[in-house]
Amino acid sequence: MTVSSAGGLDTDSTLKLSRKEMTQARAVRRFKWAVLSPLVLVFALILMPVLLLQLYFSFHGWTVYLGSWWDAEFVGLELFHEVLTDSRFGWAILRSLYFALGSTVGCFVIGFGLALLMYRPFRGQGFYYIFFILPMLTVPIVIAYTAEMLLYQKGPINGILSAIAGKDINVIWLANPDLALTTVMILEIWNWVPFSFIIMMAGLASLPREPQEAAHILGANRWRIFYEIQLPLLRPVIILALILRFLEAMAEFPKTWSLFQGGPGSATETLPIYIYLTTWNYFEISKGAAMSYVVLMLMVAIVLAAIQLLRREKSALDKMYATKSEG
Amino acid sequence: MITNFGDFTRRHFMKSAAAAAAVGMTSGTFANSAFAATEEEGIIAAAKAGKPAGLRGMIWSNYMAAMKKSSEEFKKLTGTSIASIQDISVFVIPQRAMAEAVSRAPDFDFFHVDSNMIPSLASAGLLEPLDKYMEKAGFKIDAVGTFGNFMKYKGNTYGIPTDGNVHTQFVRWDKVQAGSKAYEDKFGKAPAWPETWEDDQRMMEFFQDQKNDFYGSANLRNRANGVTWWYMMFYSAGGFPFDDDMNPTLNTAAGKYAVETYLKTKSVSHPEAPGWGTPQMIPRIVGDKVFSCQYWDGIISLAENPKKSKTVGKWKYGLVPGSKQSGKLVHRSISSPIASLLINKYSPRKEQAAYMAMWFATLKNSEQIVGDRVNTFHDPWHKGHMSSKVVRKAYTPGGVDAIEQNLKVASPPIYLTGLLEFQDILGKNLSEAYVGQMAAKDVLPKTEEAWAKIVRRVGKKRLIKELASYKAVFPKVDVPT
Repeated sequence: MTVSSAGGLDTDSTLKLSRKEMTQARAVRRFKWAVLSPLVLVFALILMPVLLLQLYFSFHGWTVYLGSWWDAEFVGLELFHEVLTDSRFGWAILRSLYFALGSTVGCFVIGFGLALLMYRPFRGQGFYYIFFILPMLTVPIVIAYTAEMLLYQKGPINGILSAIAGKDINVIWLANPDLALTTVMILEIWNWVPFSFIIMMAGLASLPREPQEAAHILGANRWRIFYEIQLPLLRPVIILALILRFLEAMAEFPKTWSLFQGGPGSATETLPIYIYLTTWNYFEISKGAAMSYVVLMLMVAIVLAAIQLLRREKSALDKMYATKSEG
Repeated sequence: MITNFGDFTRRHFMKSAAAAAAVGMTSGTFANSAFAATEEEGIIAAAKAGKPAGLRGMIWSNYMAAMKKSSEEFKKLTGTSIASIQDISVFVIPQRAMAEAVSRAPDFDFFHVDSNMIPSLASAGLLEPLDKYMEKAGFKIDAVGTFGNFMKYKGNTYGIPTDGNVHTQFVRWDKVQAGSKAYEDKFGKAPAWPETWEDDQRMMEFFQDQKNDFYGSANLRNRANGVTWWYMMFYSAGGFPFDDDMNPTLNTAAGKYAVETYLKTKSVSHPEAPGWGTPQMIPRIVGDKVFSCQYWDGIISLAENPKKSKTVGKWKYGLVPGSKQSGKLVHRSISSPIASLLINKYSPRKEQAAYMAMWFATLKNSEQIVGDRVNTFHDPWHKGHMSSKVVRKAYTPGGVDAIEQNLKVASPPIYLTGLLEFQDILGKNLSEAYVGQMAAKDVLPKTEEAWAKIVRRVGKKRLIKELASYKAVFPKVDVPT
């Protein structure tokens, strides 16, 4: 920025500056569009038509046996009413919520624990880092089939548990309806701990060091530093990690399907399984579409609540920093 | 030669009759061979009349492997070949094929899929009727019993079988012989082939040794497959799932008997059975871990393969148990899934695909496909397989005789549009009862309630019209000879 000898701004240079700024702003805008346009195109050409088609189906009663889908009868909200009064759908929601909550908490607790152990540099850190993220790189279907080999009654997992406990342990992981969904939950946790781990590692690494060092100098122990400084500062990151994991867990399909197909009984009939059965086993495309929309609405509500929560956390943090810098 | 009929004694007559019978048999054999040659030539001639094509199909490579040789021969003779396949499990093809029906795409020429899906896929408009091509080629499905009717729907032929896949009774006869005296001491009679489901249960209870991981039953009880066993019990008790007006008739004496019989096997089944499919159960069958089962016949070939089985020569194969619930003894086995070739109506190459399907099903070619000792996915179904040396070697003579008996009483699952939905609801409810999530008495009323809704949705009138095709698939005999 050029400043005139009189101490005020030179008009010419101000104009020049604005032009420069404008050019910069244009470049930034162009860059943003360059990055965003493929996504916008994908959304407009692929996702939007699918969503609109789904919407059409959910208001028209059509199964594959009823002629052309474009001639389907308009049924208004009938299918939504059917879905919302379907007890099987209600149970599927409850199972999915149980599964998603359990696996989200499990992933977070273990992932955060590992991140706390790992975020300070140490020798061999890279090796452990790769080791810990390996489960996330494993294909879910492979996890399911491997689990099938490990978890049968006389299998290696029960063998290890028996050796540790010093008595015969015969947990029926894969055929007990009270345990089946928990078994998938354990696999999900194993599969996705690295996700929480990576996010929490990034969050811990980006924390400002000054308040932690100040607290240390003032005599705070590590637990107090963690509880009173790190944890509050990490709250937006924690919420983000929990929300993303929760949404992902609600959509879990490959492990549950390949291990159980909804059984034993209906113990693992979660939302994705029930929607799949309705659409592709019963060929009730319209009811499946209505179900998908109900779930979509549920997810949108969760995401909006999460965004709200994140905003509140961010403004609380901004306020805290502002107060500190004023002080 | 001049014959003086005045000198024609009774002895002369008997000699001549015997000679005529012998000649007749021989000429019949020759005629059959001539027919076989004509059958294949007919297919080739019909196929050559069209343009050679590179076909695209949906087929599991496990099935395709045994068909490769025949496929190559067909290519040499007609120029038509299988250019590419989508290799997916036969259990997933119904869904994928239905996606093709929705999109009406011409991309796939054939689908190798459970023929029990014919009503659903034909209703969705995907399938090409094959009768005109069969007539042109002079081809007939020469199957045991009424098995050929599994390919028919509303008077049209929609499929060509490559696999019989009928349930056959397996009993560890070495165990029976070893424990015969103890059994007799307990029950007052020597153990015999289980004629009824009650006999079967009694024998499984007696001969199992759960402490040593040897269970009575290897029948599947998981949600996806368990229902297959229930059908056998239900049909053999004289049950049929719908009345003539398509009202479900499950909650009947036959239905209750079937549920009770089905659930009883819990006492002789492995505790993990509710979660097990074939990948878990087959190793137990050939691993000397079970006494008895009704199982897909392909396992005979595996159980008698010394390289893969610990039970070679230990099994006896035969007719599945029946029931006297209806007042007379009725045996009903089941064929599901029956891997068959179905042709896409929207394909521009449908005619060539139809001829190739027929080519795989001639006696000569199907014998080689079914008799493959390595790729044991196709099981006997053709009348000629029953006397074929190749097939009898692969399945053992006792095994083939058992397959023939069961094919004669083979029944379908719900051979109607909406099969998967009807079946899944029933399977879910049975599975819930098996694991204690639902009371046994609720299985049938709840299934009926759900089925009534399916009937309304698919269309009552449509389904009433289909009932005749469903009934036609049933065997005409109660006890095979």
